[in-house]
Amino acid sequence: MQLGFFFNQPRCSGCEACLLACRQWHGDDESAVDLLAVTELETGEFPDVAVTWMVVPCLHCAEPVCAEACPAQAIVKSPEDGRVTVDMEKCMGKEDCGAVCREVCPYQAPRFKDEPDAKMQKCDLCLDRMKEGKKPICVAACPMRALDVAPLPELESAWGKAKDAEGFVYSAETAPSIVIRAK
Amino acid sequence: MDTRVEKVATGGCHDCGGRCPYTLHVKDGRVVRMEPDDELRACLRGYALRQRVYSRDRLTHPLKRTGKRGEGSFTRISWDEALDIASGELQRVREKWGNRAILHISLSGSPGGIHGGIAMQRLFNMFGGAAQMWGGPSAEGYVYASRVTHGTLETGNSRDDLANTRFVIMWGWNPVETIFGVNVCHYLMKAKEAGAKFFCVDPRFTRSAAVYADQWIPIRPGTDVAMMLAMAFVLIRDNLHDADFIERCTLGFDKFKAYVTGDEDGMPKTPEWAQKITGVPASTIETITHEYGTVKPAALIPGYGPGRTSHGEQFHRAAATLAAMTGNVGKSGGNTVGFDRVVGMPLHMPPVIPWGKNPVEAGAPRMSGSVDTALRNRSRVHWAKLWDCILEGTSGGYPYDIRLAYIVGANPLNQIQNVNKGVQALTKLESVIVHEQFMTPTAKYADLVLPVNTHWARDDLMRPWYVGSHFICVNKAIESLPGTKSDFEIACELAPRLGISDYTDKDARQWRRWLAESEPDMKRHITDYERFEKEGVWRVHQDQPVVSLKKQVEDPQGNPFPTPSGKIEIYSRRIADLKHPELPPVPKFIEPEEGPASALAKRYPLQLITHHFRTRAHSCFDNVGWLKGLEPQALWLSHEDAQARGISDGKRVAVFNDRGKVVVPAKVTHRILPGVVALGEGAWYDPDEEGIDRGGCPNVLTKDHFSPGGAFVSNSCLVQVEKA
Repeated sequence: MQLGFFFNQPRCSGCEACLLACRQWHGDDESAVDLLAVTELETGEFPDVAVTWMVVPCLHCAEPVCAEACPAQAIVKSPEDGRVTVDMEKCMGKEDCGAVCREVCPYQAPRFKDEPDAKMQKCDLCLDRMKEGKKPICVAACPMRALDVAPLPELESAWGKAKDAEGFVYSAETAPSIVIRAK
Repeated sequence: MDTRVEKVATGGCHDCGGRCPYTLHVKDGRVVRMEPDDELRACLRGYALRQRVYSRDRLTHPLKRTGKRGEGSFTRISWDEALDIASGELQRVREKWGNRAILHISLSGSPGGIHGGIAMQRLFNMFGGAAQMWGGPSAEGYVYASRVTHGTLETGNSRDDLANTRFVIMWGWNPVETIFGVNVCHYLMKAKEAGAKFFCVDPRFTRSAAVYADQWIPIRPGTDVAMMLAMAFVLIRDNLHDADFIERCTLGFDKFKAYVTGDEDGMPKTPEWAQKITGVPASTIETITHEYGTVKPAALIPGYGPGRTSHGEQFHRAAATLAAMTGNVGKSGGNTVGFDRVVGMPLHMPPVIPWGKNPVEAGAPRMSGSVDTALRNRSRVHWAKLWDCILEGTSGGYPYDIRLAYIVGANPLNQIQNVNKGVQALTKLESVIVHEQFMTPTAKYADLVLPVNTHWARDDLMRPWYVGSHFICVNKAIESLPGTKSDFEIACELAPRLGISDYTDKDARQWRRWLAESEPDMKRHITDYERFEKEGVWRVHQDQPVVSLKKQVEDPQGNPFPTPSGKIEIYSRRIADLKHPELPPVPKFIEPEEGPASALAKRYPLQLITHHFRTRAHSCFDNVGWLKGLEPQALWLSHEDAQARGISDGKRVAVFNDRGKVVVPAKVTHRILPGVVALGEGAWYDPDEEGIDRGGCPNVLTKDHFSPGGAFVSNSCLVQVEKA
């Protein structure tokens, strides 16, 4: 069953605990690459200001264009839970292929370190943690309990199929596995 | 699963509003990952600890000054030589000048019950004592107000009770960024999702306002009391106050009412009166008061920032009075607006290894029950006057002539007001010895720096920040970085050099057990020490949220409030007896020194506030790239003030007043009231050749003074800003 990402936007305070929890969980040195993005969005003028945030890891799309585009066929989608992962052995490195996976992804989920021949890294919904029955680190870390990862149909039945929010555009082409409670 | 990974349950960080448990994954003696506790979740700073602990900038050798003090020129020496120098200096100063000439400076960098300044205070007391400071930088105004009004600091509800409120005024309160108790934001969100309404009164549109506020009410710093008095005026005028509660549980409302209505001084504290002072529209004051006065239960929750002003205790006194007037005291979903320790729940400061009495303080007047700060100043020095005391000494009226400063778990040059005066003071001293992990602005002024380890390499005890519900067993997870020692180890090695043979009969781990088994608060809660040690945390759960002062409110005759009158003292006789011109017996608005209406405002027209910064815990973490990269230090400035000065976003500006000058990038924003600028505290002081700070340390600008009740006045500060 396809795993989905749930974002409870009104709860999000932009605190970036998720960002650093992920960074330290997946990176073993100081040049760790961020596997999710936290974006701040401000509207209005003093004193009628509003600020909200959008959190986007890889959204393990139903139709992952990154997998299609990869010249080395290094990106695969799991038939079991829909997880999109990269095989580091097969990945050619961004220098050779021009980081085409990142170019085509509407959410820039594929990430590369600065080194010229860096291989692609991406959110894998913390496969290591989920094997132990734990939620991904971003979900476990969020002090506001604003994130969740669960089978997409469950999320949709609890929260509806809303997929629009400030700071997010649902890509009809790739069909990201996301449910949002928008602010 | 990697079997080479050892999991260590531990916790703790620096002096933030949390104090979180977590599990460290240790592989080959090195922490590779941190895993949050499911219930008590850490913030972004916790996840950056790894970068802090393993930073290339960690000090790994004792250092002896070579150049001029403050130059930062040091040479590496051995531990033996360093400890000989330290003990030699302590003995030399004691012999020549006496123990009163030794000052032990310890702040909150190293929260714990065994290490940090605790270990050193025990040593100093055995050595004959040392001079001490008073006046908690965080919230002395609040402490003062709580003692006067409620007679106790145990006035809060357990934080899960926040979910029960129906109306919240967050007054200068920013828990999203300052934490203010692990899980506070989570419980507040429950209240919001259940329909509670939120107002945020703050000069800045903080992240807390962004998440919770139905309306942001920008207000001029230091004028909060005026708005509160106007709220009291409206409550009285429209008969919205809880007359029954006031009658049963409070003392002196009539005297307060006479002041508010204008009967006392001919000046009714109307919303229009308050609008001129605060910048808040009268209509806004009317609306918010009507809601606060009618929705039950309602929680007015003050932060500490508005109390760090020239008459900060009045802010907390006025807020407590409003809570009493609306009957929101000792009730679920309300907020008493006392200091918030919760009756029966873990205390804030950890139990400390017994440090005996400080011989230097023998014969000092007892402070318990006194509201007279002048009394306290006879035997101790207020933190805000640290530098002035060093410079002026007894001929300046201080109780001490300091010759040697021994600094542990503190960065006073950065964190105490008036950095330029601090530079003079540290330069004047005969001897400066510092325990540090990094070459901080304070460490640069040392003659001797002793490199210490971090809490990941220690066994210690921590209790949560004020409104917590757990204890943390800090379990040593890694060995000390080679070359470093713990403060406790340093004390153990200094002791024989100082002629002290019985400094300790236990190691840190044994002390921890001893404390847990002997201190009443820990004994009461922790019933299985082995389990506490194994799990790294002991949670205190209640079936129902705990509500302090509930008994007193229900039956004030049978359970009097711990005040002289047995009631909530809106009017305080003890304060009246002091006849202090700036300490009125009822809460009053007193025009702030360095306020928008003062004469100084003609030269320095902008009000500076120095808020706690999201990516730091005071000055800890300013040198950690992961955090600094998320939000570089910048001066918040309104579009209006920026345009008037030709300043654009991101460009460098000079912020200055008579005390000093700082150059930082500007953040031109809609999120601040025109007339106010904000510079987050904790950024490291970094002076150029002309003495202009390039690091963005706001204490270069703040005033080294304290309020009549002992509060820091950091947020009563006037500056000018120009393009740099």
